[in-house]
Amino acid sequence: MEQVEADGLRKTYGETVALDGVSLSVEEGEVFALVGPNGAGKTTLVRCLTGTARPTDGEARLLGSPPDETNEARVAVLPQEFSPPERLTPDELVGYYGSLYPDEETRDPDALVDEMGLSKARETRYDDLSGGQKSRLKVAVSLVNDPDVLFLDEPTTGIDPEGREDVWGVVERLAAEGTTVFLTTHYMREVERLADRVALISEGAIVEVGETDAVVRKHAGEPRLVVRTVGPAEEAAETVSSDGAGARVDGDELVFDGVEVDGIGDALDALDAAAIEYDEVRWREPGLEEAYLRLTGER
Amino acid sequence: MKASRIRGEASAEWRSFLRKPAAVFFTFVFPAILVALFAAVVGAGGGFFEEPQGYYFAGYLAFVVLLTPLSRLSSTVARGRDNRRFEKLATTPLTRAEWLAAHVAVNGALILAASALITLLLVTIGGASLSLTPVSVAVTAAAVVVASAGFCGVGALIGRSVSSQDGAIAVSNGVGFPVLFLSDTFVSPDVLGAGAPAVELLPLTHFSRAVRGVTFAEAGFVVPLAVLAAFSAFFFAAGAYALPWQE
Repeated sequence: MEQVEADGLRKTYGETVALDGVSLSVEEGEVFALVGPNGAGKTTLVRCLTGTARPTDGEARLLGSPPDETNEARVAVLPQEFSPPERLTPDELVGYYGSLYPDEETRDPDALVDEMGLSKARETRYDDLSGGQKSRLKVAVSLVNDPDVLFLDEPTTGIDPEGREDVWGVVERLAAEGTTVFLTTHYMREVERLADRVALISEGAIVEVGETDAVVRKHAGEPRLVVRTVGPAEEAAETVSSDGAGARVDGDELVFDGVEVDGIGDALDALDAAAIEYDEVRWREPGLEEAYLRLTGER
Repeated sequence: MKASRIRGEASAEWRSFLRKPAAVFFTFVFPAILVALFAAVVGAGGGFFEEPQGYYFAGYLAFVVLLTPLSRLSSTVARGRDNRRFEKLATTPLTRAEWLAAHVAVNGALILAASALITLLLVTIGGASLSLTPVSVAVTAAAVVVASAGFCGVGALIGRSVSSQDGAIAVSNGVGFPVLFLSDTFVSPDVLGAGAPAVELLPLTHFSRAVRGVTFAEAGFVVPLAVLAAFSAFFFAAGAYALPWQE
């Protein structure tokens, strides 16, 4: 069943078009990532999908209903740059947000604090927590109603790698438990690690949507081997090409396109056979970042 | 409205307040300073302040009843918007009216406590003669709570309309101090001449008259309290509607 749906969503602020006909759907139990640079429309889309902003045109549906008619107890949102009351402790904050839901809908606050690895900090005020602890606590207060659908709007922006790992671990656990997660980010590595499907958004429009691996395969280009030769790269390219191994020159380097990881040895053997000396070899498999940059024309 | 949600929001706000030593200090010390200063001025006699100490009791209470909710609510709303707290709350079952009711409860309790302190200081140090009967105390407490509800609504409106916490405090003071002195608190409307009729449009005027009516002047309190309640209901509703639950 589709848990989140957008059909031709358009949102304008005066002359500025924030969303330009966005359509997408998210299935039950899916981790769906929305990727784009700052100002691309990610947060506006989350707001339209969760009912905190009204679209200018188009329709949003959450758990099959318009967002403002959805049972709030089944949905949770962690807004971008959200900061809870800073003088309360993890126990108090989880208890506070839990008190806003019917008792039967909430998880045990103590257990949730433990589950998020905050047991040792349960008496520490929010202001005095580390960046990673704050991030986990913000996710914790978003899980207190045990939601079926969780929106995380850039949950790892501005936090250190350790804190990011903490949040990723939580999302992975939620995904394993079957929670539908709608995640916005501009970290491609986050998407590659967490998401089942990804939508790329640029200037308010979805430019591609699909399974993460498929989007990479389709748009990111081939893996490549880059060799820095000791002598002139042009001469080396001619020599290698005459031997049948295709290579092109990029600056002072030789580039072998389409070389998979198990083909690196063959390519280097060809260089050795042609007596071409080199002092550096790099192999790179394109990822989502390359796909995104190609699709949005930013490179 | 659901009591458990109001209790949850109020409890979080109360705890947050108690952990801000400066806020606790100034909430109670400002009124004490005001009483001390005015009591000295009134005690000296002359000028605008010719009435007995008890006459100004309503004005001292009006000071905290007006300025505490205006500054606290406006800055809380501005901060909540900056910190995306309302965006989070909007996706929970808590309603705008419940949020504002919770903050009325907290501010009402603070203002009642400050009012008790003012009463104590004015009677013991200022030597004011007040009629403190069960009825007058109950009416005064009711007026404090009712007025607090309305001014919390005004504070929410200010917080919604300004772009920063600093701006919220500045606008609160810019609105609050003129209103305070134009509301039949320390200066009689007679002094205002042609502007006197406008005083009737200020809710704080009716607060002052209700409190003065039962504690000093032995005048009626029902009409001013009813007018105050009508004003407060309007501003509470307007303030709740203005909370930035949605863009």
